[in-house]
Amino acid sequence: MIRRRRVATIAVVLGLGLAVPVAGHSPDPFFNGPLYAQNQELRFRWKAGEAPPAAMQTAIKLGAADANATRNSRAAVFIPDANGLSWINYGLNVACGVNGLACFSRAGAPKSFTMSFRENGHRYDWGVLHWCEMSGYPNGCFEARNSALDEFGHVEILHHHVNFADESDFLDAVVQTIQRVKPEPGYNAHAFGRCDVATLQRKYDMPTMAWKYSTCLDLSTELTLTAPAWVPTGGTITFSANLKVADLPEYERLGANPVSGRAITLQRRFAGGAWLPVGQLSPATADGTYAYSATGQTATAEWRAVFAKPAAEGLRGDTSAVLTVAVLSCGPGPCPQAPNPTTAR
Amino acid sequence: MEKRWLLRVGPPIVALSALGLVAGASAGAVEERWEPPDCGGGGNRTAVVALRPAPRAPNEIRGESWFRLDPVLDATGTLAGQRLEIGVHGRAVRRMALPPESFGAGPYGGIVLVGSDDGRRSVLRAMDASAGCAALVARERSVIRRAVLDPAGTTVYEFRVDRASRADLGVWRRPLGGGPAKRVLAPLGDDDRFGRTFSTELSWSVEGDRLAVAQCGQTACRVRLLEPATGRVRMIARPDLGELVGVTADRVVTYAACRGIPCPILSTDADGLTEVVAPTAGIARLMRTDDGPRLVHEVVTGERVELHVVDPAGDRPPVEIAGPGDGLRLAPDSARGAAGLRVPEGWALLAPDARPGASAVLVRIADGTAVSIPEVTR
Repeated sequence: MIRRRRVATIAVVLGLGLAVPVAGHSPDPFFNGPLYAQNQELRFRWKAGEAPPAAMQTAIKLGAADANATRNSRAAVFIPDANGLSWINYGLNVACGVNGLACFSRAGAPKSFTMSFRENGHRYDWGVLHWCEMSGYPNGCFEARNSALDEFGHVEILHHHVNFADESDFLDAVVQTIQRVKPEPGYNAHAFGRCDVATLQRKYDMPTMAWKYSTCLDLSTELTLTAPAWVPTGGTITFSANLKVADLPEYERLGANPVSGRAITLQRRFAGGAWLPVGQLSPATADGTYAYSATGQTATAEWRAVFAKPAAEGLRGDTSAVLTVAVLSCGPGPCPQAPNPTTAR
Repeated sequence: MEKRWLLRVGPPIVALSALGLVAGASAGAVEERWEPPDCGGGGNRTAVVALRPAPRAPNEIRGESWFRLDPVLDATGTLAGQRLEIGVHGRAVRRMALPPESFGAGPYGGIVLVGSDDGRRSVLRAMDASAGCAALVARERSVIRRAVLDPAGTTVYEFRVDRASRADLGVWRRPLGGGPAKRVLAPLGDDDRFGRTFSTELSWSVEGDRLAVAQCGQTACRVRLLEPATGRVRMIARPDLGELVGVTADRVVTYAACRGIPCPILSTDADGLTEVVAPTAGIARLMRTDDGPRLVHEVVTGERVELHVVDPAGDRPPVEIAGPGDGLRLAPDSARGAAGLRVPEGWALLAPDARPGASAVLVRIADGTAVSIPEVTR
């Protein structure tokens, strides 16, 4: 029997490889198909006989530079190169359907792509296409640089962002079903929006483990804290913490990522008391690791580490499990009643 | 799960000329700046030409009409006009300079419908490529954006917009021989989910009983199906659906709202249930075959193009036919390709840049047999 794929949700209808349903204001959906390699250089040329006019070439190259500069991930980069394997054309034999301003093919992935732009002056039902760069930026024109950024996003893997019904989140993505005309807000966006970046990060991973996660993400984190089970009176407790993104399949490449360079607070509580901050853990050598040395300890206490949800990135906060470090009065050598070393999360 | 039937044919390409079936290459025999004389004889004559039987086999393609429309850019890269090439396989090619707002549709038998708008009036002509003449169908103050001929070869359906406001004026019909038009489909209402209407394309269901009016915003499309016999209209308006591929029985076959390829192809039934019939398709056509309607679509992987054949209802296993390669692509319908050539039923045309040109190939859907038709155009 043939497997029937009856569908009810927009995500499945689009044939998207989503692990979670698409809702308004989620990270951009994405196409099925192969990814390019991380940080792969995709070199493109103008298709022979169908090269864009100079103003369009400039706009498209700026769009490529915008994509490279704002991908905030290890997504592929786009480089103009007369000998490039990928090509871009204009006006003649445009491979778009009957309605597009511009379109792309990632059928050549993971090696190449193609991109096409309608000619200035193309007739649509609603009227005449004016590219801003070719027409002096009158109201009603489409900005080719913005259009190119949208298309480069598609080439990477991005599908159109699913906006709220009132489109109040339109500026959260450049890769949109409907490109806006001048002077509508966002017509000249020159950076991927945070929901574009969110999917690029999921698909291609972070540039470094200290890089900020898109605020269009909402990733669970896991914070663990380790310390010796006891120290002698007046001794120093050396704490080690480890912060990582939760290892969930829907996080794709981000799952289990160590998270470096964040603010992690160490807190202490004596018996019957309240939690109070002791200090900030400092970054240690390895990605996602942090350390703190608490000197001159005189009493047994409970300890925990706290990673507060950052205001400007898409990570959830987490608090480690509580661990107790005993402060024991012993002479030289180990105390006979010392508990085993402790790890907590 | 039933085992998928896989037919992978390394298609033997058979040149028609080698079979002695084709002669008289047309390359070079070009008549530039052609202005067609009036055909005379009225609508009946045009209808007879329009009802000329389709070729039954590749060797009957000689004499078939074809056309191709290409934008002409000025020195700044702005659209200055369109160049129409129209001809008959094996004979001279004629070229016409048309204004930017022009279109072609067909061929219908030996007729190509050509619309052109000079900024003041729209003119719709039925061009007889074989006789080298044209019959005036309509002259309108509003802008005729698209037109098709009905399967009976007697009635033209036009889509128009208002000249000043570009507002949708709906779909109109009139006799092929000319005469007053009557509106048969109201303008499409605004819907923010689709945005402004970029394109309206008219086509017939595979059975020829319904006119499909596909109207697209930048990416997503709405489809209305008009039954001329009853006036009944069915509409599908879902922003996850893209460009129309075709209509058959209770199925409306569309791309997803992708604006690029590969793109899923979806089949929506009368209850609005949709299924993915091709997850990663390139160019596609819905075609009539001896086994019923079939969706033929590309699967493009790098430089390699394969043709897949799918039952639009999803009830039968898909078939994969190895493509002929060499840069050939499946030719889409005349709306998407701005070009047309009638081919025998059950055969698909593959051509450079997916449009009729030199080195075109016909591929039999049933078994992947490929026949070269290098002389078909230009």
